[in-house]
Amino acid sequence: MSRSGIGSLGRRLSYWLAMQSLVGLIAVCVAVYGAAQVGFEARQADALQQKEAQLRHLLAESDEDMGTLRHKLDEFFIGHADMALSLTRSDGSVLYVRPAPANSVRAVRFTSPARIPNQDPLVALLTLDIRDDVALLRRLGFTLALAALAGTLFVSVGGFLLVRRSLQPLRDLVEQTRRLAADTLHRRLDGSAQPDELEPLITQFNGLLGRLELAYEQLEGFNADVAHELCTPLTTLIGSTELALRKARDASELRDVLGSNLEELQRIAGIVHDMLFLSQADRGVTARRTSTPSLAALARQVSNYHEASLADAGLGLEIVGDAAGSFDTPLLQRALSNLISNATRYGQRGSTVRVEISKASSGEVVLKVVNKGATIGSEDLPRLFDRFYRADPSRSDAHRNHGLGLSTVAAIARMHGGRPLAASSGGISSIGMTLMDEEGLSGSVKATCASESSASPA
Amino acid sequence: MKLLVVEDEIKLAEYLRKGLTEEGFVVDVAHNGVDGLHLAMEFDYELIVLDGMLPGIDGLSLLAALRQTKQTPVLMLTARVRVEDRVRGLQSGADDYLVKPFAFSELLARIQVLLRRAQPAREVGNATVLGLADLEIDLIRRKAVRAGRRLELTAQEFSLLALFLRRQGEVLSRTEIAEQVWDMNFDSATNVIDVAVRRLRNKIDGPFERTLLHTVRGMGYVLELREE
Repeated sequence: MSRSGIGSLGRRLSYWLAMQSLVGLIAVCVAVYGAAQVGFEARQADALQQKEAQLRHLLAESDEDMGTLRHKLDEFFIGHADMALSLTRSDGSVLYVRPAPANSVRAVRFTSPARIPNQDPLVALLTLDIRDDVALLRRLGFTLALAALAGTLFVSVGGFLLVRRSLQPLRDLVEQTRRLAADTLHRRLDGSAQPDELEPLITQFNGLLGRLELAYEQLEGFNADVAHELCTPLTTLIGSTELALRKARDASELRDVLGSNLEELQRIAGIVHDMLFLSQADRGVTARRTSTPSLAALARQVSNYHEASLADAGLGLEIVGDAAGSFDTPLLQRALSNLISNATRYGQRGSTVRVEISKASSGEVVLKVVNKGATIGSEDLPRLFDRFYRADPSRSDAHRNHGLGLSTVAAIARMHGGRPLAASSGGISSIGMTLMDEEGLSGSVKATCASESSASPA
Repeated sequence: MKLLVVEDEIKLAEYLRKGLTEEGFVVDVAHNGVDGLHLAMEFDYELIVLDGMLPGIDGLSLLAALRQTKQTPVLMLTARVRVEDRVRGLQSGADDYLVKPFAFSELLARIQVLLRRAQPAREVGNATVLGLADLEIDLIRRKAVRAGRRLELTAQEFSLLALFLRRQGEVLSRTEIAEQVWDMNFDSATNVIDVAVRRLRNKIDGPFERTLLHTVRGMGYVLELREE
């Protein structure tokens, strides 16, 4: 598993645990060793000091001959095999010697006045054999080092195994994740056996799965809708053409069939055009903005276009408010046209459709088309902008309205950095969108606007 | 009027040749970029209809090569709707573009616009009074009269009627009507144009015996005097 940048978590943890315990144990061992050494030295110094005092006394007291002094000295050292002494006169002649080992000794040299053999002071070299202490210290050091290494090894292996054990649930999680596929998106990861630290990850992952499932369902539904939408005109086309060819028909009859077929084909082309436009918007193509001095003027132009339809439906139209900014004018015309068409379709005869334009302090422009009519149910409101969604599929004008109008509005809002809006209560429905003026967008988005361009229809 | 169609899709090329010939054009067809470029360089066409995706030399390269020496108007056909392609098309010297699938009437309208642009002297649209049979409108006084009777038209209806009279005998598609009268440059799934034409027809044809404004199924509307 060397793909990841930091390598195995278990190995890394056990390595660092080993390093830490090694350093810690070394510190403890050094302290113990040091304390022992200091203790030994103090004891040696004590022993030497004590013997030195006794020797000084002995040398100062003895007034017998050389033989007696030697004898006294020999007696003095009985039971002290680890001690040695050499007495020399000031001229260098040796008076008494008790041999000492060549190394591993601790020595003290002092000068003592003596009565014999003459009044010359004697130079004494008292040595203490510390070989036992040195050996003891060495053994202690060796034991400590061994203990430190063993401890480190224990912590390291223990840490590795512990991490391995703790990560076992993670492997289960991987196994659970491996079993997920596009058609089992309804499954969720089971976090019951997982440590608390992984809880947020599992929650987030399950959330992501939920969103994916929703998107996947929408996509599948969308494909089915597309097929369905295309099926109807295609069936008509195939059927009518077949029928026309079944027996000899005169020119005017054939012309009629061809005209009807052409209408169906145009309907298919319209759906394809709109879907291509929506897919562009989904791919993140943004609006090609140009300075738009008055949205009210733009709304006026679009409402002129709808004048006859509005009059036919017995509806008036007024435009309230105005705003200026930088927008993709052809796209806004299209969006407004779709919104006014929608209001014309559902508006109550004799009422007035109102186009409301306002600019929020945040720089967001709100464009709404308000009409009187049946209240849209709260469960239908969020679905209004779904592709191929029709509140009432059995309406007689379904053949011209293919249910992409409001999704196009939503797409155009998104291309302007805004979002669609829909509200309905008390018989008044208000559908529209928010638009971000270019100034409200960050520099990076602006750069995208410059390099990409919008899908203004041909 | 001599046109060149460069289109590799045989069926489409054949239908374009047939349609344009019926409209009174002399049409040459090339099925690949190499032949297309050769013809375009060799002869002087009034206009070239050029497919963007071609075997041999693609449409854009052909256009670039052509523009080195000639300024023949070019109408690009493209199946790719990516706007970058359109912009590239126009920057590389195409005069207009049409996205597949398109209606033949749409293609014809674009060709006529380009040809008119190339020869502005042929424009005859500066008459102030237009008429057909007993229908007459005065563009300056904004008055419409049929059989001596004044017609009450809204401003939008007047503009629509003026367009029909100016282009009488010509089938106008819904897209073109929206573009010419209201400057709406998008294909709309609404029946706005149908309603507008129906209301206009009620006013100009309703009370009279002979119908002038006709529906051509699947294509659009035409204003003409037909033999009963």
